[in-house]
Amino acid sequence: MAKLIIRGGRPLRGRVRVGGRKNSAVAVLPATLLADGVSTLENLPSIDDVRVYADILGGLGCDVQIATAASGNGTITVNPAGFSPLAVPHDVTKRLRASYYLLGVLLARCGRAEVPLPGGCDIGLRPIDQHLKGFRALGADVVIEHGMVRATAPALAGASIYLDVVSVGATINIMLAATLAEGTTVIENAAKEPHVVDLANYLNAAGARVQGAGTDVIRIRGVERLNGCTHSIIPDEIEAATYMIAAAATRGDVLVENVIPKHLDPVVAKLHEAGADIEEEGDVLRLKMNGRPRAVNVKTLPYPGFPTDAQQPMTVLLSLAEGTSIVTESIWESRFKHVDELKRMGTSIRVEGRTAIIEGVERLTGAPVRATDLRAGAALVVAALAAEGETEITGIELVDRGYERVLEKLNGLGADVAREE
Amino acid sequence: MTGAMRLTDGEHEKTMMYQVRTDEVCQARDILLKVYAALKQKGYNPINQIVGYLLSGDPAYITSHQSARNLVRKVERDELLEELVRKYVEEG
Repeated sequence: MAKLIIRGGRPLRGRVRVGGRKNSAVAVLPATLLADGVSTLENLPSIDDVRVYADILGGLGCDVQIATAASGNGTITVNPAGFSPLAVPHDVTKRLRASYYLLGVLLARCGRAEVPLPGGCDIGLRPIDQHLKGFRALGADVVIEHGMVRATAPALAGASIYLDVVSVGATINIMLAATLAEGTTVIENAAKEPHVVDLANYLNAAGARVQGAGTDVIRIRGVERLNGCTHSIIPDEIEAATYMIAAAATRGDVLVENVIPKHLDPVVAKLHEAGADIEEEGDVLRLKMNGRPRAVNVKTLPYPGFPTDAQQPMTVLLSLAEGTSIVTESIWESRFKHVDELKRMGTSIRVEGRTAIIEGVERLTGAPVRATDLRAGAALVVAALAAEGETEITGIELVDRGYERVLEKLNGLGADVAREE
Repeated sequence: MTGAMRLTDGEHEKTMMYQVRTDEVCQARDILLKVYAALKQKGYNPINQIVGYLLSGDPAYITSHQSARNLVRKVERDELLEELVRKYVEEG
């Protein structure tokens, strides 16, 4: 098991370049199977979830080539010419939740799909009922048996689908399935997350006809085939948010480059309330923090609300604030597992259901801690950077799932971080 | 304040409003054309992508190629729409 050893208490200073968005990459990668030609994806993040998806596509017979430039930017080329609709292996798919996008893709491409129920971080129930509702509306027969989702449809036909809850996964899966369906599909109460837009960008560049992504009504006119194309993945605002929060927690001064500032509006608003000075110039955000943060209340919501993926790192910042903050997690029911670990470092946080009441303390102290999920691991890294003394974080493989070159980026900002395998 | 002073103020206001409007129109048109060209160069359907941006407000629709994504945010979406509608009506 890999671990990070962080000697904290150093303000982060300098520039950090954000990579491609994890949640876009794991939606666009399976979409390349829908195309008849070669797809090239640029600005690909160098993270484990991408490598796992590349393995899955390779296992399905695609020729997959990954190249990383000296700048760190990754490019992947997927040639699906050798694609063969084999069963998707359990051991790979249980490692990431986004494996369920193969359902929509295989259903559209082959008329049948057998995919193990999804894995990923243990942060709460992950119902896929809205995905199945969408597939059934498109004409598929769907059953869950022996831990597998089995879907068949001789031909998918466009339909109107109202999502009972706003679900990013269901929105994406239905878009994937409907792209090659006959007729028009309308998704109402659709998720508006930027990676829904990014997937639509890829699909449309490949010849699909998807309109309305980024609004709550998405219309997909089915086409007969997609071509390959070149597409650049949008920047990862959660990685950007994590570095900004870390800069604030260490009272540093950091320029975060290659961002879409609009996607960070809710995080910037809360960091500003907490006392950070934030400037925007093009695709760069600069955060300066002088003194102790102020307490603020945060509630996670679907986009454009405060992102649940930034909640755990934000909890760390607020644990150092002057006063009492209340954080409400409205997306996942088990997303405060990092709190027990943070208490080892001196935080004063009480969790009641989906709410954390945080009494700010003046300082954190280093301790041995364990990451329980991806963003919990990121939160522990932020805490360790701000804490006095040395922190050893085990389970760092979970962080590798969604953050690229953590060691290099943090040490580039003046942190003192080492890794042991 | 004298009547002459008020008249002078009024003249300034009228002149300034006219100039700003011209600048905005030029800027919106210039930005639309540059964004269109950048999207086309990267292989996207520029009309689809610009419509998507205007509807949703999400800059993810616009490529970062040639700083088009930064450029499109220099004017408000309503100004871009205004330019499009004005052009359509004037030429119709």
